[in-house]
Amino acid sequence: MSALVRLAVFAVFLNFAASEGCTKPEITSVSYTTQDATIVTNIAFVSEFTFRCSGLPSDVPLYAEVGGSVFPAVHIGREKYQVSWTEEVGKARSGDYKVNVYDEEGYGNLRKAIRGNYEHTSPVEPLSTVIVNHPATYQGPWVNSEFMAAVLAALVWYLAFTAKSKLLL
Amino acid sequence: MMLVFCFQTLKAEESDASGRLLVSKQILNKYIVQDMDLIVKYTLYNIGNNAATKIVISDTSFNSDTFEHAGGQLKATIDRIPPGANVSHTVVLRPVRIGPYNFTAAKITYETGDESSKVQEAVSSEPGEGYIVAFRDYDKKFSPHLLDWGAFAMMTLPSLAIPFLLWWSSKSKYETLSSKHKKNQKD
Repeated sequence: MSALVRLAVFAVFLNFAASEGCTKPEITSVSYTTQDATIVTNIAFVSEFTFRCSGLPSDVPLYAEVGGSVFPAVHIGREKYQVSWTEEVGKARSGDYKVNVYDEEGYGNLRKAIRGNYEHTSPVEPLSTVIVNHPATYQGPWVNSEFMAAVLAALVWYLAFTAKSKLLL
Repeated sequence: MMLVFCFQTLKAEESDASGRLLVSKQILNKYIVQDMDLIVKYTLYNIGNNAATKIVISDTSFNSDTFEHAGGQLKATIDRIPPGANVSHTVVLRPVRIGPYNFTAAKITYETGDESSKVQEAVSSEPGEGYIVAFRDYDKKFSPHLLDWGAFAMMTLPSLAIPFLLWWSSKSKYETLSSKHKKNQKD
């Protein structure tokens, strides 16, 4: 079971300069996603990260953007944040999910850009980006083993029957 | 099974310019199985006319001797939820003990955003009672049973293979005899 559920650890040090205050954000993240979808109705994506930036006061409100939806990052401790969301089992694709992290100013600009009245020419740059990797979703075996057994038994019977009918000709 | 989606309205003050939160706590599982993921999702809706601030979600309803953490934290703070917005928070746990478990409400405190700046206490909806199934029982019912079918195949193999080999040896013996006989006739 533990092989199915692995922790993906990413340490990302990116130098996106979004605001003048924060030039070198330090971000370290641990992410978790549900991989065995046989007993759950939704896939959970959880990313816990620590965020530190010399130009910004500690524990500033942060916002996250994943696949077009924007929501606040939740504080879970000093300089520690959590971004989590759920997706339906059928809709959750495997691979890397990019979580763009914004501060209050970037969040405001992003909302403006989404509404379509963002006046700057360049796109809204995130403070940093966290990657949440979702390897795959296990939804049970492709073919039922009892069905496989029935098919094999039918095959054996068919071979035996054809051999026998050839003999009697 | 446990998608209880009811809200408990809060005893918020009757003033219009205050933030009011409705909090739902959902268990996103079809079955709750020992050592497998249990997804708990908290969704906070602000139905008030003002932003709710300093929202603290604290869920102490999961005993540490029954549940292990897999991802996410049960105590979290959200800085601000604007009016009309909703925010969700997801935690993944692993039950380690089997048996019935009563999933009760989480506690939430927040500031309503009006002049009084009073701290409002709230509770989430309760998912209710659930049963944590032992992994062995779950596996018995849902695993592909490859080992069992393999053993079944091994057991049925002698009764199929022995008659087949007997027939095959006699067949090849007669075929060689008949081919020799045909050769002799030609000569």
